[in-house]
Amino acid sequence: MRRGCCFGGTTLHTLKLATLPSLSPSSRFVLNPITPVFRSPRAPLRFSPIGRALSSAPAVQPAAPSSSKVATKTISDDQLAKPQWNASIDFKWIRDNKDAVATNIKNRNSNADLELVLELYTKMLEIQKEVERLRGERNVVANKMKGKLEPSERQKLIEEGKNLKEGLLTLEEDLLKLTDELQQEAQCIPNMTHPDVPIGDEDSSTIRKKVGSPHDFSFPIKDHLQLGKELNLFDFDAAAKVSGSKFYYLKNEAVMLEMALTNWTVFEVIKRGFTPLTTPEIVRSSVVEKCGFQPRGENTQVYSIEGSDHCLIGTAEIPVGGIHMDSILANSQLPLKYVASSHCFRTEAGAAGTATRGLYRVHQFSKVEMFVLCQPEESDSYHEELIRIEEELFTSLGLHFKILDMATADLGAPAYRKFDVEAWMPGLGRYGEISSASNCTDYQSRRLGIRYRPSEPPSSTPKKGKGNIPTQFVHTLNATACAIPRMIVCILENYQQEDGSIVIPKPLRPFMGGLERITPKSQ
Amino acid sequence: MKGKLEPSERQKLIEEGKNLKEGLLTLEEDLLKLTDELQQEAQCIPNMTHPDVPIGDEDSSTIRKKVGSPHDFSFPIKDHLQLGKELNLFDFDAAAKVSGSKFYYLKNEAVMLEMALTNWTVFEVIKRGFTPLTTPEIVRSSVVEKCGFQPRGENTQVYSIEGSDHCLIGTAEIPVGGIHMDSILANSQLPLKYVASSHCFRTEAGAAGTATRGLYRVHQFSKVEMFVLCQPEESDSYHEELIRIEEELFTSLGLHFKILDMATADLGAPAYRKFDVEAWMPGLGRYGEISSASNCTDYQSRRLGIRYRPSEPPSSTPKKGKGNIPTQFVHTLNATACAIPRMIVCILENYQQEDGSIVIPKPLRPFMGGLERITPKSQ
Repeated sequence: MRRGCCFGGTTLHTLKLATLPSLSPSSRFVLNPITPVFRSPRAPLRFSPIGRALSSAPAVQPAAPSSSKVATKTISDDQLAKPQWNASIDFKWIRDNKDAVATNIKNRNSNADLELVLELYTKMLEIQKEVERLRGERNVVANKMKGKLEPSERQKLIEEGKNLKEGLLTLEEDLLKLTDELQQEAQCIPNMTHPDVPIGDEDSSTIRKKVGSPHDFSFPIKDHLQLGKELNLFDFDAAAKVSGSKFYYLKNEAVMLEMALTNWTVFEVIKRGFTPLTTPEIVRSSVVEKCGFQPRGENTQVYSIEGSDHCLIGTAEIPVGGIHMDSILANSQLPLKYVASSHCFRTEAGAAGTATRGLYRVHQFSKVEMFVLCQPEESDSYHEELIRIEEELFTSLGLHFKILDMATADLGAPAYRKFDVEAWMPGLGRYGEISSASNCTDYQSRRLGIRYRPSEPPSSTPKKGKGNIPTQFVHTLNATACAIPRMIVCILENYQQEDGSIVIPKPLRPFMGGLERITPKSQ
Repeated sequence: MKGKLEPSERQKLIEEGKNLKEGLLTLEEDLLKLTDELQQEAQCIPNMTHPDVPIGDEDSSTIRKKVGSPHDFSFPIKDHLQLGKELNLFDFDAAAKVSGSKFYYLKNEAVMLEMALTNWTVFEVIKRGFTPLTTPEIVRSSVVEKCGFQPRGENTQVYSIEGSDHCLIGTAEIPVGGIHMDSILANSQLPLKYVASSHCFRTEAGAAGTATRGLYRVHQFSKVEMFVLCQPEESDSYHEELIRIEEELFTSLGLHFKILDMATADLGAPAYRKFDVEAWMPGLGRYGEISSASNCTDYQSRRLGIRYRPSEPPSSTPKKGKGNIPTQFVHTLNATACAIPRMIVCILENYQQEDGSIVIPKPLRPFMGGLERITPKSQ
């Protein structure tokens, strides 16, 4: 039997490519231009909270079910390499709010050591004070030496200066060590939490909204693996030979479905004012860390490239977050709203159990991701906007889903608040995560060094220079617009027909040459 | 020793048997070592060459066909980097910070152009009877080797994954070649024609010089690849078919290009014959390779273990069993349908207008929401 695609009434060879819906003129790429970043000399490091609390790798892709919840901090302090970059942590704020910080750490099941952080901070302040005192004395000595002196006096001063210098050297070494240790410990502190977030583990997550209801099938239904097999849509066996388990080839209409999902989603999000991007999928490991992931941890989700300091991205959040690293943005540039299409790679180390069949958990997949940089006071409302966009997208595709406000223990260090979307997967017989929307407030921006200069209040004197308004850290948010394999699972399982065919959701048809259904080859 | 023997006779035989056994063991060890060494050396022998292939180095390659001619611009033209900058289409600087040189972000209309090029190309090749695929981009290094690449060589083009025996693919040819590894296909299954869309990763170690600016030479890119498995006697004609498809695709996009029959020194070990397509890139001021179509005959299939069972000739006795016809190795071919970054270079540089806008080739417009032009933001 000749292998080939047979798209129901429309055969492959007469594919009529319907004109894609035109974008409205308003969205015709009069997008926020990314104007050259305003670079200014780095402001002195002011310690603001950044916890590299990479205790639990944030689950951007649908997280494993509770049985395989990612363990908190799996690296001992000794194993953690000295950070090669510093996070702008606000130690003073932590100290002044230590009760709230402690409660937050507890609620999130983080094993950050707050007491140690505060201890180290206090010590550091003391040493800094001492260093300054000694420096002062050294200046006094230096000044004295400028004048006319008796040889014996001069000699005494020289000795004194020498002692001070040595003492300073020692202290400065201690200070450096202390600062590193303080960084290491403080980076473990997770982001604070939105007051409305339920406290507890996964079971405490609350349902914000339910859309639709499980479709009632009048015939025995199949799961996506069986449907894919019968319709010749995937090949897991060949991929196991070529690459290993949890790899796959998509074939025939599944390829077009992936292209359609990607394109439709990107167009839809562009219409809502986002700038489209494709990104590098190989990045420096420091960028991965600054976004809150742990490339080198045990059970890391991150693939590393041999002989280099590079990793494969697990989500476009990482390379997009990196775009404005170490920059000061103008107030007028915000908000920056990006939609990025990329491949994502995840080791899925530590993920085991039944929820790993087929396309549900794979090492490589395509994803369309939304990423926003904004003023702090706006992040809550952009979080609402992102989840609203997701709701609109998934509703358009006719899915039945619920939106969850994730509880504290399920948040992952960078997220201040996280909404997950779980869609009904009839073949699986349960809800499966298809998307995640996180407000990371300033957690990532303090590590990535992304600041902005707030505009001057209207009452300020015109004479005030540009440099007078101190920069602040932006807030960052990320949200999955479309995780292709899970979306394919949803579409196949929900839209299956009794005759074994799959109806294609209407919005996707123009992107599939007008194809309305995937039919078994015999028809 | 099975029969009745005198003790002394038996003892003699036992000794003899022991000596033979030891002798055998030694020989078998030698044989193993020799076989390995033979394999290692023999694997270096390149594929044979089609009799029509010009002998010599790159300059000896001959032009099979020229399509179109360089467009005459009535205004000073820009290269794709400058066009991309003015139209806010790429970001190499941010990518250098995040990843390093030869990485890039595509932005705005360039993203849609990539999506349009990919989709249009896949659809066009599907129409010509190819089965579409997406493939793993992380594969076992043995598969890379069997396709004729060297993951571990000095100046290797291949990225390896730390702590594993896996690599990133430099082309979808590799995972597609691997699909039917160690298989015997039925005659009726051939030809198998695949079109695969994937990302490709290349270290570009050893590549230096001027031809590395911008999108021309990058570490990561999207590509649509055609791959054919067929009977040996058909491979020449499928090679012709593949280059014809490429010619049709590039002509549809309005490019000016030449098709070269690559000379022997430029073939690469697996290729029996290789046609390259070089398109005119006005900003670069020269022709640049946008595609390659190779007939690898049985070079890859002998390594990947892809055989088929030829059908019985009509005159054979009906009683002949299935197992009587010896299997043969298939022939494999691969050809670039679309290498996205170089295609973007071609489109930007060839379709630039005096006002700084870029006209979008007609076939791609339906895939870009009907967009006809990329215009500077001020307009």
